[in-house]
Amino acid sequence: MVEIYNDYKDHADFLTVYVREAHPTDEWQMKSNVKDDVCYAQPKNLAQRVAIANDFIKRFNYPIAFGIDDINNAAEAAYSAWPERLYVIDESGRIAYRGGMGPFHYDPAEVRAWLAARYGAVAHPATAPTPANPTATPPSTPAASATK
Amino acid sequence: MTLFWKWAIAVFLVVLLAAFLALCKMAGSPKDAYGMVRYALPHMHRGNLKVGDDAPDARLLALDGTDHFHIRERTGSRPLVVIFGSYT
Repeated sequence: MVEIYNDYKDHADFLTVYVREAHPTDEWQMKSNVKDDVCYAQPKNLAQRVAIANDFIKRFNYPIAFGIDDINNAAEAAYSAWPERLYVIDESGRIAYRGGMGPFHYDPAEVRAWLAARYGAVAHPATAPTPANPTATPPSTPAASATK
Repeated sequence: MTLFWKWAIAVFLVVLLAAFLALCKMAGSPKDAYGMVRYALPHMHRGNLKVGDDAPDARLLALDGTDHFHIRERTGSRPLVVIFGSYT
């Protein structure tokens, strides 16, 4: 999503909403959490959520605006957003794009496609033909080059 | 117990075992299958929001742990891409 943000931040606003942890140590922790050293218990109060959110921001130097859901999970409930989900809200305040439920249907490429349809595709040097790789062709759709 | 019921129970147990094994394969391990059933599935909802609906508002806390703002405060002039997620 950061790549999409960098490509379209001059056209659209972005907001990350931190919701309940998906794989905390006291619930369904996964091996990948241990491997990646991302081990947190499920926050029981807002101060704990703020601390984890700030850890995330610092670790990844995350550039996108950030908000933290209330401890009663109001935003999560309103958007059926757990464990992860993407939306686009248009200028009139209506849902313009609703992503599928994560993780299986969480697809940033769909957001990129929505933005590309409105503002044009953004080409990346890595996908463009180069002398060292003359047979490479740009992706057929902007979405094909999106990364999570 | 009649032969019918013995067969019915046997078939049920086989189906149950197959479902559990399929879930283990999908989740990664028996522990993950338990975690999925116990912690994930009850909280995963498709929801009723549709394209064209008014975007719900919600009050969020800023990273400083003090200030608050509303999602809808960020809408109006340009499209707003909203990314829901957590660290883990």
